[in-house]
Amino acid sequence: MAAATPLSLRAYVWRHRRRIVTGFALVLASVGIHVGMPFITRYAVDALREGAVPPLVIAGYAGAYLLAALAMAICGVHMRQILLALGHQVEYEIRRDVFNHLTRMDAYFYQRERTGDLMTKMTSDLTAVREFVGQGLFQGARTAIGFVLAFGIMFALNVRLAAVMLLLLPAISVLFFFLIRVLRVRYEASQEQFSRISNFSQESFAGIRTLRGYAIEARQQARFGLLNQEYIKLQMGLSRVERPLWPTMVLLFGLGVVAILWVGGRQVVAGDLTIGQFVQFSQYLFILQWPMLALGWTINLLQRGRASWQRIATILEADPRIADHQDTDHRITEVHGDIRFERVRLTMGATPVLHDIQLHIPAGQTLGITGPTGSGKTLLASLLARLLDPTQGRVTIGGCDLRQIPLDVLRQHVGVAPQEAFLFSDTLANNIGFGLAEPDAEKIFAAAQLAELHPDIETFPDQFDTWLGERGVTLSGGQRQRTAISRALARDPAILILDDVFSAIDTQTEAAIQARLRPVLQDRTTLIISHRVSSLRHADRIIVLQNGCITQSGTHAELVQQPGYYRELDEVQRLEARLEGEA
Amino acid sequence: MIKEPEQDVAGKLFDPYLTRRLLRYARPYRWWLAACIALILGMALIQSYLPVLIQHAIDRFLLNEDGSLDTAARVAGLTRIGWQYIAWAVLAFAIRYAQSYGMAWIAEHIIFNMRADIFAKILRLPLSYLDRHPVGRLMTRVTSDVDAMQKMVSDGLVGLIADAFVLLAIMGFMWHLSPQLALTLFAVFPLLMAVMGWINWNTRRAHRRVRHKQSALNAHLQEMITGMLTLQLFNREPQAQAEFDRRNQELRGGWLETVRWISYFFPSMEVLNALSIALVFSVGGWLLWQDADTVTIGVIVAFMAYVRDFFRPLEDLSEKSTVFQSAMASSERIFQLLDEPEVLYDPPQPVALDPFRGAVDFDRVWFAYNSEDWVLKDLSFSIAPGEAVAIVGATGAGKTSIISLINRFYDVQRGQVRVDGHDVRAYRQADLRRRIGVVIQDPFIFSGSIASNIDLHQPDIAREQVVAAARYVNAHRFIEALPDGYDTPLQERGISLSTGQKQLLALARALVQDPDILLILDEATANVDTESELLIQDALQRLMRGRTSICIAHRLSTIRGVKRILVMRHGELVEEGSHQELISREGYYRRLYELLAHQPV
Repeated sequence: MAAATPLSLRAYVWRHRRRIVTGFALVLASVGIHVGMPFITRYAVDALREGAVPPLVIAGYAGAYLLAALAMAICGVHMRQILLALGHQVEYEIRRDVFNHLTRMDAYFYQRERTGDLMTKMTSDLTAVREFVGQGLFQGARTAIGFVLAFGIMFALNVRLAAVMLLLLPAISVLFFFLIRVLRVRYEASQEQFSRISNFSQESFAGIRTLRGYAIEARQQARFGLLNQEYIKLQMGLSRVERPLWPTMVLLFGLGVVAILWVGGRQVVAGDLTIGQFVQFSQYLFILQWPMLALGWTINLLQRGRASWQRIATILEADPRIADHQDTDHRITEVHGDIRFERVRLTMGATPVLHDIQLHIPAGQTLGITGPTGSGKTLLASLLARLLDPTQGRVTIGGCDLRQIPLDVLRQHVGVAPQEAFLFSDTLANNIGFGLAEPDAEKIFAAAQLAELHPDIETFPDQFDTWLGERGVTLSGGQRQRTAISRALARDPAILILDDVFSAIDTQTEAAIQARLRPVLQDRTTLIISHRVSSLRHADRIIVLQNGCITQSGTHAELVQQPGYYRELDEVQRLEARLEGEA
Repeated sequence: MIKEPEQDVAGKLFDPYLTRRLLRYARPYRWWLAACIALILGMALIQSYLPVLIQHAIDRFLLNEDGSLDTAARVAGLTRIGWQYIAWAVLAFAIRYAQSYGMAWIAEHIIFNMRADIFAKILRLPLSYLDRHPVGRLMTRVTSDVDAMQKMVSDGLVGLIADAFVLLAIMGFMWHLSPQLALTLFAVFPLLMAVMGWINWNTRRAHRRVRHKQSALNAHLQEMITGMLTLQLFNREPQAQAEFDRRNQELRGGWLETVRWISYFFPSMEVLNALSIALVFSVGGWLLWQDADTVTIGVIVAFMAYVRDFFRPLEDLSEKSTVFQSAMASSERIFQLLDEPEVLYDPPQPVALDPFRGAVDFDRVWFAYNSEDWVLKDLSFSIAPGEAVAIVGATGAGKTSIISLINRFYDVQRGQVRVDGHDVRAYRQADLRRRIGVVIQDPFIFSGSIASNIDLHQPDIAREQVVAAARYVNAHRFIEALPDGYDTPLQERGISLSTGQKQLLALARALVQDPDILLILDEATANVDTESELLIQDALQRLMRGRTSICIAHRLSTIRGVKRILVMRHGELVEEGSHQELISREGYYRRLYELLAHQPV
């Protein structure tokens, strides 16, 4: 799959060369008919000039004209369907490949890249590439073929008149190319001011309490007014270039009409040109009108499309650091045994966050991890699921370095219920059964029951089929956490990580979950990260992490005897419980 | 069925009520608008007159059927008509430019006023409204909704008038040149309109569907990117790829549908154009055969030009109706916002606040954010001018609401909150709040410099005052150490401050206003190092000196520093007294105090 992803836009287009050839043939036919039609008008006008033509003859010319237009239209429909659709096909393929590539990228990549930037590349840049391919090929071919054919005929008919046209028409293209370029610069300047306005309002609305508390709304309005005045100025600057665009075009083609009148008219008077030929020439002026304008536009389109493609390509060129590689042992299909952290160090950027972690978790045991915010608890757990790799040292399961285990096998056996559970806009059942290869109602129900989620589910409009997220039910913090727990349990993992998943759950419910979990935890290795003594006390062993180091280790009974972080935590929580008890 | 995202709801093409409200914004510019419309009329006439010139040139000088002119006179005539043509064309250009530039100017100014109104309105809306509506949605009102209106005013409205004028003028000149030929074409125009309208309608519908699919796909993609690591942890990559591919294909299908209609659009335009020209020839030829006087070759050529001009407004129509629809939908949302009740109004005859002493009384106050869910229950207490009071209690005891009531972010349901003996509702909100300084632990930092975050852009506060305030609250030292001192930019492109530094900044911000009443929200915060903690405590003590101060306290130093402590529990006042008194009472306060003493700093 990865090998099939081309890294150049040309390769994406080249795949469809057959369609392009067909499309170009249709363009040739359509343009060919279009430049042929003025011959019909010419003969018709000349016939009328002779006088006393039977109406049937003229009607014949008219019919021929209409038939030619029909033939051209049929070609026109198909050439558009083939070439414009090609742009959408290529857009589809690129979007598919980029997304598939994104699913392979690791935590490092997502820390580096902002979602907004990725979205821009997948939306407006992709649109620019589509226009580049679809419109670029279509308009480019049409302009080139139209230009060559129309001028070929004009030169064959009348060199002088054709030469005048040749002076005038390309000049229009050049003029438009530059006008559109100035337009873009000014457009971007005004867009920048627009985003300033939008940032300013965003900040004003988010900071409304401060504005109101200091009674400075009036001044904020005045500043908003100034930003808008600047915006008007830029918009008017844009208008000065944009507004004359169409009038200029009309004027220039008016000049073309006059040029034909003067040069061609003289020849008609002199008898060198028939009136029909005169009319024929004026028609070429209008046949070429759109292609000449489109040329300036198309070139800008091509430039923009290329720049956009380069931005999209940066995603495709990025390689994940965490992936299977040549050292991966694909014979491994099971993960079990003791977990060992061997002199593990981890740095994020230049900051060391875990120092020399030495840890042994025997298979089937439960380890409690606690410590102040930012001490590295979640990072420690992330190493186990290989969201991150240690900077130094290694993590092993059953004596096997995690980096040798195929990534999908490892993750199949490690169940993580994270701190901030990410729930998808989908049904509750699908969120719980997220990690199951096949949706299994029984497993989902059992997992929900283990996490004490079923009493809540009964109150939901569609029970397990309730849609979550913006367009459905918004879960409370505790419900989210319990969903995360059931999601991890549904996979029946050999190693279970519960990362601070009880913080928003009240103590009674927590006790109930703990009671249900006890038999389940017996036959698997479990890491429980928590700030609550109640979640930790039944663990086989508890470690305290402070500033990336393990500072304390022991059972609950041992740790409450030692002075230190854990004992403090225990005392505060007992006091809190007493206060609550009185409430 | 999935609900449509709001920007995709297709509006009506025209709504008289909304239009009337819109026109109110246009009223100040009505004469400019009238001038622009007059220009459009002139432009339409000139533009449609040009083919008549060509007809004249052909019949009189090129063909000269009656042979009345010699060659030299014919060439001279051609030259003269050429110059006339250029003169008219240049004039049309000037008018077209002036008119469209003028319209852009008018539109920008109308929109300027509208945007200012919306912004001011949002700043006045009750906090409960703002809590319910995400900031992003509100931003859309001042940005893209207003933008849609602007497009309609500058292009849609005038474009429509211009198109109508051009069509009428063309029809008029056609009639003038040859009533018979004109009538023939008028007879087929309804057919043209019908065909184009049908294709237009389908194209627009296809476009709307694509927009829905595109925004659904974008939302899905955004969700996938945000949840990517979760996805990977559960080995869901294959399913995610399959699902994305399904949606991606659906979008492609939507696009192919629009391509289909677009591919019909221009070719059918060309066929209808050809049909009209074929009619002109057949009927023109027949008329010539019947009677050479009714039409001439020049007239036929002029009609060919008219047919071409007649189609252009029709081509634009689809774009215009889109502009109109989205503008109507936007204006509906805008006016809905502008009509939102403000809840907290200033009294018609506000009480003056001079001189101000700073007494605060709660008189049997009942307060709830949601109907009967009481946060404060029958709360009464009095604070004398200059007195410092600490309020303590567990989370959810209603402490924060006290602050929101004093500076009237909300109104009480029963009872009264009085400042200086008058109900807070008797003052103008701005007057009241100007006297009150609120210090919060996690203050809102605006993008801008350190200095502007202290003086909040008030022009009457000199730099010296800013520095003095910062010095007084111990913020000067860290500010001086920043790369550009007081001019160091904050937010987005600037540096970010530590929690302790932000708190000191908040103190300076409050002090520089020299408030008479100080409300301090001293919530428990993590991540403040010991040194900053000491600086903050010291600054707080100094700030409270000589001011009526109400401190929602968590710091023991603050609590011990005040003479009177109010102990709150579940919205009620349960104990009151000095620290010593309360400790010796061995009540609720004592246990609260023990808990606070254990909080790790």
